[in-house]
Amino acid sequence: MTLEVHTADVQVRGLSRRYGSTRALDNVDLTVEPGVTGLLGPNGAGKTTLLSILATVNEPDAGEVSVFGLDPRDRAERVAIRRRLGYLPQELGYHRHFTVAAFLDYVAILKEIVNRRQRGEEVARVLAATGLARYARKRISALSGGMRQRLGIAQALLGSPDLLVLDEPTAGLDPEQRLRFRELVSNLPGDPVIVLSTHQADDIAAICPNVIVLLQGQVRFAGTPAELAATATGHVWTAQARDAHAHLSWRGGDSLWRHIGEQPPAGAQIVAATVEDGYLLLSQRAGGQ
Amino acid sequence: MTSPYTGQPAEAAAPAGHAGSSLLADYAAGTAGAVAAWSVETHLAGCGRCRQELSAYADPDRLARNRSAVLVRSALPESRAGRVLRRSGVPDHVLRLLAATPSLRASWLLAVVGVLAVVTVETGFVEQAGPGGPPGLRGLMPFLLVAPLLILASVAAAFAPALDPAHRLAVAAPCSGLTLLLARAVSALAVALIPVICAAFFVPGPPWLPAALLLPSLALCATALAAATVVGPVAAAAGSAVLWALPVVALAATHLPLAVVQWHAQYACAVVLLVAAAVLLVRRDRFEFGWNR
Repeated sequence: MTLEVHTADVQVRGLSRRYGSTRALDNVDLTVEPGVTGLLGPNGAGKTTLLSILATVNEPDAGEVSVFGLDPRDRAERVAIRRRLGYLPQELGYHRHFTVAAFLDYVAILKEIVNRRQRGEEVARVLAATGLARYARKRISALSGGMRQRLGIAQALLGSPDLLVLDEPTAGLDPEQRLRFRELVSNLPGDPVIVLSTHQADDIAAICPNVIVLLQGQVRFAGTPAELAATATGHVWTAQARDAHAHLSWRGGDSLWRHIGEQPPAGAQIVAATVEDGYLLLSQRAGGQ
Repeated sequence: MTSPYTGQPAEAAAPAGHAGSSLLADYAAGTAGAVAAWSVETHLAGCGRCRQELSAYADPDRLARNRSAVLVRSALPESRAGRVLRRSGVPDHVLRLLAATPSLRASWLLAVVGVLAVVTVETGFVEQAGPGGPPGLRGLMPFLLVAPLLILASVAAAFAPALDPAHRLAVAAPCSGLTLLLARAVSALAVALIPVICAAFFVPGPPWLPAALLLPSLALCATALAAATVVGPVAAAAGSAVLWALPVVALAATHLPLAVVQWHAQYACAVVLLVAAAVLLVRRDRFEFGWNR
């Protein structure tokens, strides 16, 4: 009889990281399985630090990381992780004098795709996947912000990685491009592990079967988008006027005030909570601590 | 009767003067022999009927892949120098990695040549009109100071993360950080040495001066690379520059400017070079930047 032990693709235990007196990550535990996992949190919550550690470009002060059973502290295993990694940093710089095709060619070489023909095919594949094929000859300095972001996504896809770490991939994309991105991520072959951070709760609801909320360097929620929305059930209500006891209030397009808070007033019109409501409620609670 | 394309007996189904179906199928699959493929290609250039028949055997996926790869290849610009180097046997992927090196760009090289021109001309003026020092060596100090520092600056620009906008991608890639760094640093060193050595022929000084600059320049760059594993690239380059400037200025003040490149200095540079290379080897993991802070 063989005993089958399932090891999660990405496991993080007790991860902590400080920058001077600022605690970016505080004893973070998480497990990531194949599919898309969304990382939600405000600026400074530690998302970028966590993703950069998963991408092996940053080092934790404490804790353990395992990617496909490999330990990034070991040099050989770190290289093995990088061979299976596609990474989009939050602020990706470009060699602006390169053309789109030349930049992708450059990154493909960094990813050890040395064969000229294979590199050409791979670059062509990601250009087509991100809708950049007709801009292949264009210099990066002449691209718009949205097109550069697509180029960043394209380089991460080179080599069909098993782990995609995307730090705010939809930043700077217009609504149509965001839909294209969702389509692209949903259709990636091979069921890769995808971890992406975003400020957009609707991106999470649309493409992520799993969501992690990171607040003040700590994981405050891990589950499905529906479960995140459910955390705000009974805490979202609408009214004709602003409620001073609510954490957050805003007037919607229907002229009704939408409120998120701990205790709806008696007789309040309770409405269905969304992923965004769940996230905002968690965020307000964390801020009040 | 034999086929004009293969030398084999002609197929019964092949119309006279045309390539047969099986030959076209072999050609499309890439399994026809070299001579047969050549004959078919020659024939296809002038025969619309065979071209049309050939299209039925083509694999559309393979054609699409080929087309995309060709389009990408045509979108990759290549400089004249790059073309010459590639034809000389330098692999194209190495050239692409080097193309991202700021100190190998024309603008940087022009700046190096410009600075050297100014220093060389100034050296000539000081030699003729300057105070103190033995004849033939009076104006040498600025050149001895600046020339190796220009090489150091070129090498530092090749490995400083601040000058590589896509540095984070390089860190997250499996390609070895040290290999990338050395490829860029050595190329920058080699390219910067050319104008420096040329300029050394024009400044007043002994005929062996161009050769005498090689070892100090190498030692200076190796020191900066080794120091970068400890204190970071900018501090390493600045510290190495100071280490070079101090003896150059001090020896010039005692009217012995050439002492900094004479035999005893060459021995010292050789020792420094070896030590720096050893440090670089032992601490090479530091160039991965990421996990090892």
